[in-house]
Amino acid sequence: METNLSENSPSFGRKLDHPPNPREDTEAVFYANQSSETDRLPKENVGEDDRNVDDEEIVQGELTASSGPVSDPHLNFLKVSENIDEFLSSLPSNTDDNNENENVVPVQIPHELIDTFLDLVEAKLSKLEGAAQCGDPDEDLSFLEAVHRISNLTKSLRQLKLDSHGSRIFNRIGGIHQRAMSFLEEEFRFLLEESRTTGSDTKGMQDQQLQMESETTRDMINFPGYPDDVVSSMNKMAKEMISGGYESECCQVYMAARSNELEESLHKQLGFEKHSIDEVQRMQWESLEREIATWTKAFKQCATLYFSGEKALAEAVFSDHPSISASLFGNLTRGVLIQLLDFAEGVAMTKQRSAEKLFKFLDMYENLRDLMPSMESLFEGECGDDLKTEINLARCRLGETAILMFCDLENSIKFDTGKTPVPGGAVHPLIRYSMNYLKYACEYKDTLEQVFREHSKIERADSINRPQYLEDETQSLNNQNETQSRSPFSAQLMRVMELLDSNLEGKAKLYKDVALSNIFMMNNGRYILQKIKGSTEIHGLMGDTWYRKRSSDMRQYHKNYQRETWNKLLGCLNHEGLNVNGKVVKPVLKERFKSFNQMFDEIHKTQSTWVVSDEQLQSELRVSISAVVIPAYRSFLGRFSQYLQAGRQTEKYVKYQPEDIEDCIDKLFEGNPASTARRRP
Amino acid sequence: MRATDNQGSFLNRISIRRNQVVSMDGNHEQDLEDLELFQKYVADRFSDLLSSSSDEAADSLLSVSWLRKLVDVFLCCEAEFKAVLIMGRDPSQVSKPPLDRLVPEFLDRVVKALDVCNAVSHGVESVRHYQKLAEIAVSAFEQRPIGDGQVRRAKKALNSLMLTLEEKEGSNHKSAERAWSFGRRGATNKDRAAPGQFRSLSWNMAKGWSAAKQIQAMSANLVAPRGAESSGLASPVYIMSTVTLFVMWALVAAIPCQERNGLSTHFPVPRQLGWAHSMFALQEKIAEEWKKKKEKTRLAGLLEETQRLERLGQSLIELADSFQFPAEAERLEEMASQVAELADTCKKMEEGLVPLQQQIREVFHRLVRSRTEVLDVLDQVGKVSAPSM
Repeated sequence: METNLSENSPSFGRKLDHPPNPREDTEAVFYANQSSETDRLPKENVGEDDRNVDDEEIVQGELTASSGPVSDPHLNFLKVSENIDEFLSSLPSNTDDNNENENVVPVQIPHELIDTFLDLVEAKLSKLEGAAQCGDPDEDLSFLEAVHRISNLTKSLRQLKLDSHGSRIFNRIGGIHQRAMSFLEEEFRFLLEESRTTGSDTKGMQDQQLQMESETTRDMINFPGYPDDVVSSMNKMAKEMISGGYESECCQVYMAARSNELEESLHKQLGFEKHSIDEVQRMQWESLEREIATWTKAFKQCATLYFSGEKALAEAVFSDHPSISASLFGNLTRGVLIQLLDFAEGVAMTKQRSAEKLFKFLDMYENLRDLMPSMESLFEGECGDDLKTEINLARCRLGETAILMFCDLENSIKFDTGKTPVPGGAVHPLIRYSMNYLKYACEYKDTLEQVFREHSKIERADSINRPQYLEDETQSLNNQNETQSRSPFSAQLMRVMELLDSNLEGKAKLYKDVALSNIFMMNNGRYILQKIKGSTEIHGLMGDTWYRKRSSDMRQYHKNYQRETWNKLLGCLNHEGLNVNGKVVKPVLKERFKSFNQMFDEIHKTQSTWVVSDEQLQSELRVSISAVVIPAYRSFLGRFSQYLQAGRQTEKYVKYQPEDIEDCIDKLFEGNPASTARRRP
Repeated sequence: MRATDNQGSFLNRISIRRNQVVSMDGNHEQDLEDLELFQKYVADRFSDLLSSSSDEAADSLLSVSWLRKLVDVFLCCEAEFKAVLIMGRDPSQVSKPPLDRLVPEFLDRVVKALDVCNAVSHGVESVRHYQKLAEIAVSAFEQRPIGDGQVRRAKKALNSLMLTLEEKEGSNHKSAERAWSFGRRGATNKDRAAPGQFRSLSWNMAKGWSAAKQIQAMSANLVAPRGAESSGLASPVYIMSTVTLFVMWALVAAIPCQERNGLSTHFPVPRQLGWAHSMFALQEKIAEEWKKKKEKTRLAGLLEETQRLERLGQSLIELADSFQFPAEAERLEEMASQVAELADTCKKMEEGLVPLQQQIREVFHRLVRSRTEVLDVLDQVGKVSAPSM
């Protein structure tokens, strides 16, 4: 083993102070006894099948082993190993099982040599199993080589027809093989479980641990955190186990250790708690929100780090067996991924319907979407396709829920049928809520566009209940060009705006005063336009045409208002009917002044209580009112005030100077109820 | 295997008919006819299940292939049910009493069934693990010439299997560890779960989640509709609830699941109703099996193959204990026949478990989808989601 382990570190990960296992001891004795046994094997049990055993075919004898007693046990072992290799290579290649009948080359089984070899291996094994001392990497390497020879012996001898001697030795080989494999399995598991650099209390890991303490974050970067030499040891062990026919054991150990590790990391390092779907449905939003944040983090960590680390590990450990590493990796990630996705599914099922919740859902959606490419490269084959499908399904669920949540705004609007008008014609809370909702939502515009594009068409092969927006879509095809090119999301947005409009119109009708009704429309319309102006996303989605149309609607409301309120007043200032035969009719003039004053007082009183909170709109209104009223009044006054007697009469009929009128107009729409008694609108 | 078996399905008929008769108030006669068809459908499918369960040959009761049939029946019934409940129906019908109560209750059961699906899916993973252990034993026993090494390898795997079969729920790895370690563990134990060899691979459910409780909760409020209600939509909802409950219960009984202590052996299957005859008979049979098993051995589940592994494993361990090299021909023969049976069982598991797991996942996705669709219908009426402002 080309490793540079420090004195303290275990070779395979061996522990100090292991009491030797009594059971293994007895086994050793058992083997020792057996090796001296010379049982005769019943003929029919010899060989793999019922082929005839021809004694002549099997030439008994020993390879004239050059294994004379060598004083150095190490050298001895090397020599014996060499001889075993010689023997193995002298055997006819046994790749072709069908040729057994032609396989007549007699084989001499070097009993003595093999027994010597087995004795040495057994001693090695006992030493390793006892392992009171820390292992020597060279020793480990030579052990692995010995195991490899034993595997080869097993394979080769199984192909031969054996006599009782041969059977005995084959049995002995098998026993030691099993023992060695069990040992490897234990070591393999130990390395997997205990030798991560994050391992907390492992003796011999202190060096790495010290390193770790100074850089705790390294664990996150260095997942799964096995030192290179450990990975290389595991690779060699896995190779021997698999070539020795112990693939199942090897994989089971690997799966168990890694799945536990993954679960633990998910839980301890990422704080991901398992929740049943049922539980998720019952969770308070606050807790759920926390869990969603954890989930988002955990999912990201898995997709960008854990899974790739897991894959790299599997590929490094099982470098000669890509199909094994692929299947192990697939199973491991599947377990973790399904858990994570089930949480997403559970969340998608909850009845969370409001703006800020939608955004959490979209966050999850984006997470699944954005991490897909990095996972796509990891998942291969059928198992990988399956996982990709699962990820996409969970994403669909979230997308569909997001659509429902967004479309729920429609319901909110439809069901807002309150009969109490907002005092003073101010902005309705529904409009405020909806517009703010839309503004936030449009910050997720691209995602929402995608969500609506991809998940609107919930496959309902067996249902004819189609969502409304789909019908709209088909309808809009017949409409003008602009709607035709609308994306499903902007169509939905348009739909919401149309609903808002019709809802507004209904609410406007609640006002008995037509002028106030128009103010209400102006207020709300302005609010909507301002919001849209403030968000390039919505503006872009709604389009210029729509915006211009809305602006012209606003002008119309303005005109309507002007006409309703001020045209009547201006009627009082009409010169017509005042002159009869070139003479000013004084009673009519007085009447005109009187009704002007009355009417203006009334308007002033009422409309001061009305609310226009948008400053620009407020000033626009005032300016436009002043522009029609003041010149008309000034000219009326200039023309006709002379006909009133100065003093008492003038005082009585000319209540306002143009400047007073202007002052009054400037106090309109302040929502100031104190100026007069509240009127029912 | 998808449940797209259209034979005997009246799904198409309904859709054609509904398209012809667009009735806003719901046509009572038509509903009655739908109900009858649905009942017959359920009755037929379960009667198939019952008759195949008594059939010794292929799909004996609670075998992997029988469970696959069961799941398939569920998927079919579910598709039919959805057709009856929502296809072409005026949404307001589903939101009228008593459905305004029954449908949400049903959906609640569906959510619980989803968790059961996941638990069972994890459980199948455990069963796959049993299978792997048994396969190790099979491959070791099948080696010729067979010697001590092979026998010890097989025995090790079988011992591990026996321990795994018992260790569920309590998850006591300690015993496994003692039996398995080379004695090298004692000094090195950590505070983490004892590293028992061949530790089970199943992924657990949430802490405190209990299959038994979940099944219990699913049966809460499950009352057969009476009087006028029994001829309306309340009936199919009730039938589907019962079908769901039964299928989930059977899966939980067969496959190891987290916390099955106190799993009820009885829940209200209305035996007097025609569609429930076969289901009731099946329930009786399974409940009997459940009661027959001892508390300890029940943990691995009633799955036929699992029980076979258990029986063969035990007996092969005994054979292995008395094994002596060189093996006597008689013993070898005895061993070989059991190994062959074990191999055969493993083969069935190999063929059936992954598809079963996929089917269960399909059930999961189907339930999610259907729930969404039903909610969608309810949403259209606007009853379920009160506008939250």
